[in-house]
Amino acid sequence: MNKVLRFTATLLLLVLTLGAAHAQHEFGNSRISGDFGFNGMYYIPDSLIGAEKVDSKVRANAFLNLLYSNGGFSAGMRYEFYMFPLLDFEKIDYKGQGIKYFFADYKNKFIQVTAGTFYEQFGNGIALRAYEDRQLGIDNSLLGARVKVTPYKGIVLKGVWGIERLNFEEMVGRKDQVRGLDGEIILGELIPSMQEKGFMANIGASFVSKYEPSDNDVYVTLHPDVDSLSATGMIPSSNVPQNVALWATRLSFGYKGFRLDGEFAQKMNDPNTTNGYIYKNGNALFLSATYSMKGLGIAASFIRADNMEFRSQRLAFKESRLMINNIPAINRQYSYQLIGNYSYASQANGQIGAQLQVNYQIPKKSKVGGKYGTDITFNYSRFHNIDKQPVAEAVEYGTMSGTDGYTSSFFKFGPELLYQDIGIEISRRFTKHWKLILAYNYISYNIAQLQGHPGFMRGHLVAADLQCKINNKHALRLEAQHLYTKDDKGSWAYAMLEYSISPHWFISVGDQWNYGHEDPTMRLHYYNMAAAYVWKTTRIALNFGKTQEGILCIGGVCRAVPASYGVGLSITTSF
Amino acid sequence: MKNSLLLTLILALSLCVGAQEEKPSTGQHLAKLPAVDIQTIDGKIFNTQDIQNDGKPVIVSLWATWCKPCIAELLAIADEYEDWVEETGVKLYAVSIDDAKTSARVAPFVQGRGWDYEVLLDVNSDFKRAMNVNDVPYMCILNGKGEIVWQHTSYAPGSEQEVYEIIKGLAAEKK
Repeated sequence: MNKVLRFTATLLLLVLTLGAAHAQHEFGNSRISGDFGFNGMYYIPDSLIGAEKVDSKVRANAFLNLLYSNGGFSAGMRYEFYMFPLLDFEKIDYKGQGIKYFFADYKNKFIQVTAGTFYEQFGNGIALRAYEDRQLGIDNSLLGARVKVTPYKGIVLKGVWGIERLNFEEMVGRKDQVRGLDGEIILGELIPSMQEKGFMANIGASFVSKYEPSDNDVYVTLHPDVDSLSATGMIPSSNVPQNVALWATRLSFGYKGFRLDGEFAQKMNDPNTTNGYIYKNGNALFLSATYSMKGLGIAASFIRADNMEFRSQRLAFKESRLMINNIPAINRQYSYQLIGNYSYASQANGQIGAQLQVNYQIPKKSKVGGKYGTDITFNYSRFHNIDKQPVAEAVEYGTMSGTDGYTSSFFKFGPELLYQDIGIEISRRFTKHWKLILAYNYISYNIAQLQGHPGFMRGHLVAADLQCKINNKHALRLEAQHLYTKDDKGSWAYAMLEYSISPHWFISVGDQWNYGHEDPTMRLHYYNMAAAYVWKTTRIALNFGKTQEGILCIGGVCRAVPASYGVGLSITTSF
Repeated sequence: MKNSLLLTLILALSLCVGAQEEKPSTGQHLAKLPAVDIQTIDGKIFNTQDIQNDGKPVIVSLWATWCKPCIAELLAIADEYEDWVEETGVKLYAVSIDDAKTSARVAPFVQGRGWDYEVLLDVNSDFKRAMNVNDVPYMCILNGKGEIVWQHTSYAPGSEQEVYEIIKGLAAEKK
């Protein structure tokens, strides 16, 4: 039997027994809580938008979380039912049912022990990030054990050992595993006088190692990075590293309103599908500087990632499956409908870029700022691929696979622009009743590099969001957007009207119109109607409409969304 | 293997439930916030059980810099917050669920808008999970004893009035 699982089971039993014993003594504080979610849809085929006829028209995702806690002890589990999942989840193989999340946890001031499934992040997540995003269908939790020790106030040490979850796949036969150590020193807590003077400083370091046996030879396939003629060949199993290590160090420093954060990571040779089986070491640098004072905030950040995709299995390449780390995409994230399909996705194997954001408030009760003040946000970001010069061996063989791949000049921006965004947003409340947000963005988005089909989109987006609070209960909101572009599918217009009756009801109608499509027959409408009822922590929503084929991005992580048409029902609640 | 794990879990959970049934009836008591280690804006560890306000009411909001309704709600409260504090002594904890991608921008974001809230960072959604929160915005109100007396998801303009009524009631109760 698998060592990780055997250890986990033993520890789980131990923590649970201790917890149960503890619960016998501490009657008063036990608590059971949970939450439930259901997301269903009835699909109607629509050949024009590309919504194909599907075998099961009725599909749904559902889950139930249960948590028990009593003082320092807690235990929980999640049951998921995704047997007939929504089409976009089926597309990423998030299909199955069962309890894939369960844990027991004991914690006191000195130590925390978790057995079972857990989520964890070291530093900024560049070394390790086990996380979930239910909307994207990402669950990179680890099944195993975690120990967190605080030997002295201001010092935190963590250790994790586990197997990474892959959708609903069986864990028992798995041989790959992830081990990690992380330490952080919070100087402000160690030296209180530092804090009194307005300084803060944290330093941290992580070490993560992945183990995967290499029983088989690897047959090298052609990689898009290689303009070679015949990139076929074989890497003998003896040359495939079974252990891949990654280490990272980080530093934060602050003085009053000023703050600097940095993390640098390096990954040892890790030939895998995503990098075309090269032996080059990977590295990543993340820097962020912010300044804030009342009414003004400035944030600048820089990221460079080179060959940093780090997955539990070397054959994994799709979406975020089996991803151990997470290279943050630092661009500003928008919720504008029309540019949703042009959201930047973080490129762990090669990106260099920077981002600047300024938030300013023209003071309240001033002549220009008005009674309520006016908020202005300015944003600029630009990302390129990295410079890559094939090593001599790669040139000789006609493929990078099996070699050290390439060399890269560290601060040089690569020839390919991946994404650029220049934007300004102004938000102002005029009276107790009226509020307006205006935004303009110029977006450049490299479709070929980011989505893998030819094209490059440059477009101007103008958006307005007008809110009218009729009285304390009733409010009306109008959202209008226009995307002007000659590229991709051409220009779009969007309008949405939402009526809300606080605190229970929301009703909205909207339409997204691709009026500028080259082909007149494709100038389609994607309309949507929705109603939602909210009662305390329960939300029931019904919607009817069309969704265009595209991508859904959250936090720089994206997945494909198929075109769909139909009626949806979603229920979420917690108790 | 899998079965034995499940069996263990069921066994232990039944033990827990058993333990709970033995509980003497002390009358209904309200839930408190779970104890989860998150971060302050200056990088210190903060246990969510330390969210308190010397016996006065507390509002806890789970939000993110990318969540439009969350911002709308916090903006609406910001317009009246000074008056609320004066009248009821309330304190609002704005717990951001921004991850590493945007968490560095939380402080400039909050300061840039001149918000007077206590801001905390839940960068890997640990507190969100422990609170069984599905989606943001989520808001709850704690009474002077730290018990959750009201909670709500979503934001519709005007619902801040309900929040105000409740904290006013709690403050009056105290007196």
